[in-house]
Amino acid sequence: MGIKNRLKTGIQKNLNQKYIKRLLGIIATKPVLYAYGSTFPTISDKYLNIFTIESLKKAYSDNSHPVGYGSLFLPYEMFHALGITPFLPEVMAGFTAGLGLAPQTLKEASSNWYSQDLCTFHRSASGASELDVFPRPDFIITTNLACDAAQKSFYIHSVKYDIEKNFYLIDVPYRYSKESIRYLTAQIKNICMDICSKTGKKFDISMFKEVIDLSNEFRKWAIEVSILRKTLANYPPYYNGLNFILPFHGLAGTREAVILYKQIYKELKKYSSKEKKENSNKNKQVKRILWLHLKPYYRNEIFDILDRENCRVVFEEINHVYWPELDYEKPFESLAKKMLSHFLAGSIDNRINVILKAASDYRADGAILFSHWGCRQSNGGARIIKDSLKKLNIPTLVLDGDCVDQNNSSQGQVKTRLQGFIEILNSEPK
Amino acid sequence: MLKEQEITNTIKSKINTTEDFFINTLSSANNRAAVGWFCTYTPEELITAGGFIPVRILGRKKIIKSESYFPINFCPYIKSSWESLLANTGNFKALIFTNSCDGMRRFFDIASRYLDNIPSYLLDVPHLKSKDSVDFFASNISDMKIFIEKLNGKKINEEEIENAVKLINKKRRVLKEYSRIFSKLSHLIYISTYYKVMELSMVSEPGIFIDDLEKYLKFIGEVSTENEISSQSNYKDSPAIMIIGNFIAEEKLWEMLSTMNFKLASDDLCISNRYFEKQVEPDNNTDLLESIAERYLNKPQCMRMADMGSKLAEIENNIVKNNIRGVIFISLKFCDNMLYSFPLLKQKLNEMGVPVLYLEIECNNFSEGQLKTRVQAFLEML
Repeated sequence: MGIKNRLKTGIQKNLNQKYIKRLLGIIATKPVLYAYGSTFPTISDKYLNIFTIESLKKAYSDNSHPVGYGSLFLPYEMFHALGITPFLPEVMAGFTAGLGLAPQTLKEASSNWYSQDLCTFHRSASGASELDVFPRPDFIITTNLACDAAQKSFYIHSVKYDIEKNFYLIDVPYRYSKESIRYLTAQIKNICMDICSKTGKKFDISMFKEVIDLSNEFRKWAIEVSILRKTLANYPPYYNGLNFILPFHGLAGTREAVILYKQIYKELKKYSSKEKKENSNKNKQVKRILWLHLKPYYRNEIFDILDRENCRVVFEEINHVYWPELDYEKPFESLAKKMLSHFLAGSIDNRINVILKAASDYRADGAILFSHWGCRQSNGGARIIKDSLKKLNIPTLVLDGDCVDQNNSSQGQVKTRLQGFIEILNSEPK
Repeated sequence: MLKEQEITNTIKSKINTTEDFFINTLSSANNRAAVGWFCTYTPEELITAGGFIPVRILGRKKIIKSESYFPINFCPYIKSSWESLLANTGNFKALIFTNSCDGMRRFFDIASRYLDNIPSYLLDVPHLKSKDSVDFFASNISDMKIFIEKLNGKKINEEEIENAVKLINKKRRVLKEYSRIFSKLSHLIYISTYYKVMELSMVSEPGIFIDDLEKYLKFIGEVSTENEISSQSNYKDSPAIMIIGNFIAEEKLWEMLSTMNFKLASDDLCISNRYFEKQVEPDNNTDLLESIAERYLNKPQCMRMADMGSKLAEIENNIVKNNIRGVIFISLKFCDNMLYSFPLLKQKLNEMGVPVLYLEIECNNFSEGQLKTRVQAFLEML
């Protein structure tokens, strides 16, 4: 049994915080971490895993740094500038799926009256929290950006840990306007100041400057990666753009994010040069897929099927760099603008614009919207997305499933629908 | 004794034949320019000030075509409302949505794109209640005012808003009085009647409705006094129940509950207290739109708002004040804000020793027999 499987089995059998802490204590020591890192096929994959483990170790270490739970679409630059270790329960819910823990966490959530109609990212995270698997937070920051679920489930976390006074909701307005920027800027500033007063730290503008510089540097490389991907027909076999949710969000504003995205760029560039040299006819037959929303994080066949059928995911909307460069002279306002620029905020038109541009830039032959059970904000727009892409003669598959709960997704049905869709793509004249 | 019962039954029958009292109300919105709305965070004052009748869309249609616009696990109220709009847009000159939840945001997108000839507007309602939020909401209401002005090309002046505020405040006051009388005489007024009148208040010309409701209340007052009907005689052995839910406007459900032996002592619903509680309180030092914004953000809140702590405190107060023995929690399916509120609510009720029955329903589509059995079992347990 390899190191990864041993880790998985160990956690499945000992689903408790003490065991996870002990495990992180061992695996996050340099020699073990680098030995573990060497089991990955690429340096970027190795970095991704090492950075994730280091970040988790920090979150699980006792009281050396304040820990802040954060929902996915927050500007994590504020966490790093305030010296708060971020812990992302929704991302961790993805891990519960990958590690085969979701049946346990979801069962716990159900026994605590979380309806089965709710999003499993939040249900699984809530179950894990009820099982005391997560580290104890000092602060909880969430937002209503994109979906309702985070603000509700995160509030419940705050009650569980008796820190309602340290619960903050960043209320993101619907429209991008001067008033909205003002309203949001004041909220971010007030939260930062309140946290500073609670941690007894003086607000340090130089930390913000450093973090914002790093965030801009990460943004630059993320854009470079996106530009480079426009020219790629094939990808290295290991590559899946949907694996970078944690660094894209939670590590924004850190050196790690810069290192990682620079490395991804290097690897793809190398692959691109190789591809150009070979200039094989095979590339011309590849069907280019635009991926919308997330993917299942448990073992599944989707990407193997696509691969076998010569279909490549050429871009994922979640990797779209949606925000303008941040201005360290106006840190709060910059972060407010970052949030307001998100394509999942406000009208569906914001998302449609990103999708249509990506479809054109990446020459998509088809789009797959993974319809995660319980995600009202995304699935509620499926009809409009489908109709909008249809105008460009791009067929869309709305693939029903669940990113976290394997039992809520029929593998057979997914396979049949994917194959049907691929047949349609192959019958379309190029 | 038998005669007394007969008199009571006759009075009951009269009181519950609401059509006789609300004849004017029922036709008040016919052939008049209306603006449709969905959520209790929509300031009706501005619609009224603009010369339109604010008509809440109740979503009574069976969901058929709507299925091709929304996913299967999506708010049934939204689907049903969309079905109604697809079937007939009547005399609506515009629709006003709010960003109350993910579902409503997507509903607005669908209506804006697929509903021809009727303009739609989305009012951005903050999730917080701070001073900044009130100011921000006031500026959004001002933006909504411009939208309404454009509908008939006429500016809305300060006096029109003041008059509308007075009118809608009066409607709330009369509804509150009606709610008080219902609590006192709930053995005479059916639950279904209570909510039918509440619904009428949301789909009718406010002035005409107020007149009719005042006459109706006067009648109830007179007959109950004349016949010396004591307030709680029939309910001394019935448990006091509170209903908590979202947009529950199921006639069949209310009729079913009307036949059961309990006293509806309090509720927390979109079609009841969240709609009529709290007045707009203009003062000379505050902009009128700000006063309106302040009222809407501080009325009994929907589960969408951030501060769940104060919502739970609000419910706790109601339970204590009304000596509630059991809570019936009814949610329309797939309402995330409601469903996420349940774990904490259940915890709170456990601490208070108040049992709760959890029900989920769809629009125009629920199993009456099954629900009745569950409610009966719950009441027996109490």
